[in-house]
Amino acid sequence: MSAFFDQYGFLMVAIVQQALLGMSLWYPLMAGQLSLASIGFYSLGGYIAAIMGTNPWFAPWREALGPAIYPLQWLIALIVSALIGLAVGIPALRLRGIYLALATIAFVQVLNVLVLITDVTGGAVGLFGIPQPFVSRLGYIWFFGPLLVLALIFSARLTRTVAGRSFMAIRDDELAAQAMGISTTFEKVRAFVIGCALAGVTGAMSAPFLNTWNARQSSFDASVACLAYVLIGGARSIWGPLLGAALLVALPEVLRPLKDARLIMNGVVLVVACIYLPQGLAGLLASLRRPGKEAGHA
Amino acid sequence: MLELNAVSRSFGGLMAVNDVGFSVQAGEIFGLIGPNGAGKTTLFNLITGLTPVSCGDIRFDGHNILGLPPHRIATAGMARTFQNIRLFATMSVLDNVRVPMQAFTRAGLLAGLFGLPASRSQEREMLEKSMALLELVGLADKAGDPAGSLPYGARRKLEIARALALKPKLLLLDEPAAGMNLAEKGELSGFIRDIKQRFDLTVLIIEHHVPLVMGLCDRLAVLNFGRLICVGRPEEVRKDQCVIEAYLGASHAAS
Ligand SMILES: Nc1ncnc2c1ncn2[C@@H]1O[C@H](COP(=O)(O)OP(=O)(O)OP(=O)(O)O)[C@@H](O)[C@H]1O
Ligand SMILES: [Mg+2]
Repeated sequence: MSAFFDQYGFLMVAIVQQALLGMSLWYPLMAGQLSLASIGFYSLGGYIAAIMGTNPWFAPWREALGPAIYPLQWLIALIVSALIGLAVGIPALRLRGIYLALATIAFVQVLNVLVLITDVTGGAVGLFGIPQPFVSRLGYIWFFGPLLVLALIFSARLTRTVAGRSFMAIRDDELAAQAMGISTTFEKVRAFVIGCALAGVTGAMSAPFLNTWNARQSSFDASVACLAYVLIGGARSIWGPLLGAALLVALPEVLRPLKDARLIMNGVVLVVACIYLPQGLAGLLASLRRPGKEAGHA
Repeated sequence: MLELNAVSRSFGGLMAVNDVGFSVQAGEIFGLIGPNGAGKTTLFNLITGLTPVSCGDIRFDGHNILGLPPHRIATAGMARTFQNIRLFATMSVLDNVRVPMQAFTRAGLLAGLFGLPASRSQEREMLEKSMALLELVGLADKAGDPAGSLPYGARRKLEIARALALKPKLLLLDEPAAGMNLAEKGELSGFIRDIKQRFDLTVLIIEHHVPLVMGLCDRLAVLNFGRLICVGRPEEVRKDQCVIEAYLGASHAAS
């Protein structure tokens, strides 16, 4: 049993952690906005936690607060991410579609460069020996698990609130949404900021989990992976990011016996999913549950 | 109610709307007709702020609305439908009608998330009003269906219900009869008169279907190649030589 958890504990926590990153892109997508900024806010949140956990300046805080420093890190990451998200979102969300995606990629690159030339972030080397509240990796499920549950409840409620309906109306038809009294700029920024805040908190939880933090956390590959979780899992269902992350994080492990062929298999699964599952895994599950309704769609 | 003064809009070199001026009185049903490409839809887009004007001046309810964002113009009391139907296709029929009402709600995001009383009573009120509007257009039994799954005529009706949900003073209808079957077209005149009475509306309507326009409208404006060629009562417009050449003649030749 303990060997099982040693081997798969990390995997399970990684799935939940990555699902949270997928979720953070899900909110802007709910308002029809394709953003790739999440990984930047993830990195930012991670640095906040890493600095508060290792920098001597914060030593009195760590002593005074004990483990309560972790929630404080999350809170600060949340506030800082939301504020920077606001500053980035207001100009960036004037752009649409692929241009918004490009602008958010550029934002992440700028952030990476800033990190590399700043002392307090440890430059290219990054920050090491970030204090860990749990002995085993599996322990971090107590960080990420509740956050994911909260995010799922939040999403489920959101689709039944004024704000969520406005997001979906913009996604369906932005012009008509404007003509029906929705301030599309305000709503798009709101959806974007929610995503930024979630990515920031996820980052702050991830710094102790990974023990080290550096600019490689916010690589372009990681950005694309976050988007893949949502698209493969299904952008129209609150379960999409979790399903997508479960498949994409677990797949390389499951395919390990295939040795080198697993990379090919991994790619094949992605391509097949993109072509045959326009609503992602969540859409597939939904159509299996009520057969016929979706028939003729594929 | 609505005043246009020397309004123009060009796309590249093309004057889609050229020096158009007329005014619509409160309580009127005002028709806008003209051949294809005359600039009718463009004029609607200018009035509702979706397309910026090149020059000219538009006043609504005594206020200059030039440069206001479309959602402000909408909540000031102007609602429209679209020629090429622009519903929120993946959302439910009910949500389509509920969305415009949200512009007047006050309870915020957190109240909604936690289901606070302010938000709950607000949701209840929106639900009741939405269902009443769906009842009016005969779509109450379809409330839960995705709007995109409705047949064409029903989609047009839903667009009107959605526009009414904004509590407009001025309702702009862009070819509401297009794609409706004969029975639906027949009912449309009566329906428009009915909602005009019931909601105390002023109506601006674009329509190609000549019998409908002639029977329904108090006054008409005729556009041709972006220019206003005639404004008047239906019987005056019918006799106008320019109109006969430009519009009725053209449609006569076509049919
Ligand atoms: N966004 C745009 N960009 C370029 N040209 C446009 C645009 N919108 C409209 N036009 C042009 O302006 C002219 C007027 O178009 P508009 O759609 O207003 O005509 P309409 O009177 O509504 O015609 P119809 O009866 O076919 O609906 C057309 O020549 C059209 O091609
Ligand atoms: Mg038109």
